Amino acid sequence: MDLQTAWLALLGLLLGGYFVLGGYDLGVQMLLPAMGHDDTARGPALSAMGPFFLGNEVWLVAFTGVLFGAFPHLEGSLLSGLYPLIVAILVGLVTGNAAVQLRGRARTAAGRRRWDALVVLGGALPALCWGLIVGLLLRGLPRRPDGSFHVGTGDVLHPFVLSCGVAMALLLAAHGAAFLALRSAAPEAAARAAHTGRTLLRATAAIAVLPLLLTLFGAGAAPHNPVSAAVLTAVPAAALAAAWRSLSRGRTGAAFTATCCAALTPVPLLGFAHYPYVLASRSGAGLTVGQAAADDATLTVLSAFGVLVIPAILAYQAWSWWVFRGRTGQRHPTYF
Amino acid sequence: MGASDLARLQFAATTGIHWLFVILTLGLVPLVALLHTRAALTRDPARRAVLERTTRFWGQLYLINYAVGIATGLVMEFQFGLNWSGLSKFAGNVFGAPLALETLIAFFAESTFLGMWIFGWGRLRKGIHVTLIWLVALTAYASAYWILVANGFLQHPVGYELRDGTAYLTDFGALLTNPSALLALAHITLAALTTGGVFVAGISAFHFARGTEETDLFRGSLRLGVWVSMLASFFVIIVGDLQFPLLERTQPAKLAALDSSDAPWHVWLRISMDAMTIIGNTVSTITLIAVVLLWKDWLVRRRPLAYLMTAVIPFPFIASVGGWVFREVGRQPWLVYGELKVEDAVSHVSVTTLAVSCTGFVALFVALAVTNWALIIRFARRGPQGVQLGAAPEDRQGDKQPVPAF
Ligand code: HDD
Ligand code: HEM
Ligand code: HEM
Repeated sequence: MDLQTAWLALLGLLLGGYFVLGGYDLGVQMLLPAMGHDDTARGPALSAMGPFFLGNEVWLVAFTGVLFGAFPHLEGSLLSGLYPLIVAILVGLVTGNAAVQLRGRARTAAGRRRWDALVVLGGALPALCWGLIVGLLLRGLPRRPDGSFHVGTGDVLHPFVLSCGVAMALLLAAHGAAFLALRSAAPEAAARAAHTGRTLLRATAAIAVLPLLLTLFGAGAAPHNPVSAAVLTAVPAAALAAAWRSLSRGRTGAAFTATCCAALTPVPLLGFAHYPYVLASRSGAGLTVGQAAADDATLTVLSAFGVLVIPAILAYQAWSWWVFRGRTGQRHPTYF
Repeated sequence: MGASDLARLQFAATTGIHWLFVILTLGLVPLVALLHTRAALTRDPARRAVLERTTRFWGQLYLINYAVGIATGLVMEFQFGLNWSGLSKFAGNVFGAPLALETLIAFFAESTFLGMWIFGWGRLRKGIHVTLIWLVALTAYASAYWILVANGFLQHPVGYELRDGTAYLTDFGALLTNPSALLALAHITLAALTTGGVFVAGISAFHFARGTEETDLFRGSLRLGVWVSMLASFFVIIVGDLQFPLLERTQPAKLAALDSSDAPWHVWLRISMDAMTIIGNTVSTITLIAVVLLWKDWLVRRRPLAYLMTAVIPFPFIASVGGWVFREVGRQPWLVYGELKVEDAVSHVSVTTLAVSCTGFVALFVALAVTNWALIIRFARRGPQGVQLGAAPEDRQGDKQPVPAF
């Protein structure tokens, strides 16, 4: 494997890690109203993700950093081309991130509810927009001869793109529900989360059929590698079914594993569907990995650090999951 | 306003607000770590309880501040790609690497360990818990270092060669030891410690003026804050003066513009430099006197003197924004000094899009900043009783106030 491919794989790992880990945070944020009306129900839900919240979001920060460091030519055109969607995601994340950390500081229950509205918004808006971006990238971009592109309202409102957006939002909400079903100590809270999760999984499956049908009839994605794309579409379908069955039988660990798998698949799908293009035009060609990557001298320097740092990152993140593996209960201090 | 003005305004405003929170983070976290260590090492139970409450009180304020630092930092990370795609085209091979390494080496660890520290009270072994906050402190400064390596390249490009109008990395070591980055790191570290020290001293003095019962807690904090800010503000001036010879060598135009009233940015440079020197010398003088007056609590026996300490809190923030305005405005019209002009680096984004996003981000950031400062002030005034960080669940219930009926 050459350096460029290795860094592309790492980029995928970081985005995938964000969809899986940051994804359940977004899901829990969206589900907050469904967990109950007062803080005796909402507090524990947020405490469930508490120790991991900051460490989950940082996968996105690292994704962007590596995007800039290792694929500067992709970064410039991707982010500025998707401008309105990226701005919407950032507004959502900034609001949600601050609201999750500050809601506990409110003096009154009413004040806390105002923060909670921002917590929900900060979960739903990014989840929806990430799905829209996945849809846009799969479908192919309106690239100009000079390589730049700008998505307009018409591109976003395409049924394929819209249904990808809604499906992603529902999927991450279901993922958050599976997480809560697994982590909640109170049996009623866990049962409520499992019930909500099953409903959301059915809704996700129903919506996800739409982009699939559109593609089959030639109005959706036109992947460069149809076979890999087909295989990678089958995986989340199976994962959704498995998650639904596991939740119905009370096997929350298996259900969460399955939703993790479903939340992860957009990343390999994006990577393999159009390979070797990292940005595919609707007309077929695009920006290849080689054109997007930084110079080899830069990648070599980055790799020297990466070999040491990446295993360390995985190790201490795993350690933090292990330390806080117990269900959230009443005995320990909470903060959010 | 054109696209490049809007992009600059957006960058300047958002980075400026990010910075106002980051500087307090950088200034407080070593003090919190120090207090936590002392608490862990103290045998005497009464003394240990005081130190632990002290740690949690300042830790609480640090965390409230951190929430906005991290939320605004998220936007910073995306802005290069959003607004300055010309920068990634020209210097992506060189400028991107420190940013990538910052996220992998510093932010990843900082976020993970801070999460563990916040939720680790009463759950983790003492040694581990204290180690975590030191790791957070270390990685916060590591992130400052990497971002300054990136910024140092814009100020004084080194370690690269030009081929076909694109910069290629040739000497990573030169990039890492760029004097423009290292000297800035030293100056910033001292500026941050000045800010943190004045913050701790000012709030402690306020509680004395209000006749607090927690005299042990606030006496210890007052001493720590006054000593740290006295030492740091003395050296921040010295390191500040050391930057002039470097600027003479690397950016003569900046110094010329400072002294020539015809230069386009002269007023900005003059005001921001004066802000730093006047505030630096004033704070240094006040804290030096304050150290002497620590003897027998003279500093806080008289209310006006105590309130004066509180009134100093905002000034280091003002000085440090001035420092950045000087550094960044002074390199105009260059984005990468001598190599890439600002106007050539702006993304091809329409003026309307930029105007909307600029207004949106600035409004959001200002709202967050004001809310957050209100929260910091409220929790600072309430004192140790109101602390939620590490409080047992029962205590947490106690701070809830009855819901008003209407
Ligand atoms: C508490 C904050 C604070 C205080 C009291 C001072 N500074 Fe400062 N200064 C900063 C906070 C700061 C800063 C925000 O940290 C800057 C911005 C960029 C940097 O490297 O540090 C800075 C930059 C900065 C620069 C720009 C370097 C460049 O353009 O590359 C110079 C020349 C000085 N300072 C000089 C001084 C002098 C002579 C001071 C006192 C007599 C002084 N500063 C006090
Ligand atoms: C946190 C502290 C910082 C503050 C307060 C700050 C402030 C500013 C200001 C005031 C400007 C506008 C200059 C003008 O319009 O004349 C600016 C521009 C800019 N700064 Fe900074 N800056 C900071 C750190 C950084 C860092 C760390 C980097 C790079 C890693 C950076 C990169 C840029 C870029 C790319 C621009 C736009 C181009 C320009 O107008 O010069 N800044 N910044
Ligand atoms: C313009 C360039 C800048 C960018 C792109 C940037 C990016 C970021 C990001 C993404 C975060 C959140 C990290 C996380 O998720 O853990 C953050 C926080 C932080 N940044 Fe910046 N930043 C900039 C300027 C600066 C400067 C100039 C400094 C210091 C000298 C600094 C120091 C920090 C620190 C210490 C934090 C930790 C959070 C906090 O302190 O509130 N940043 N920054």
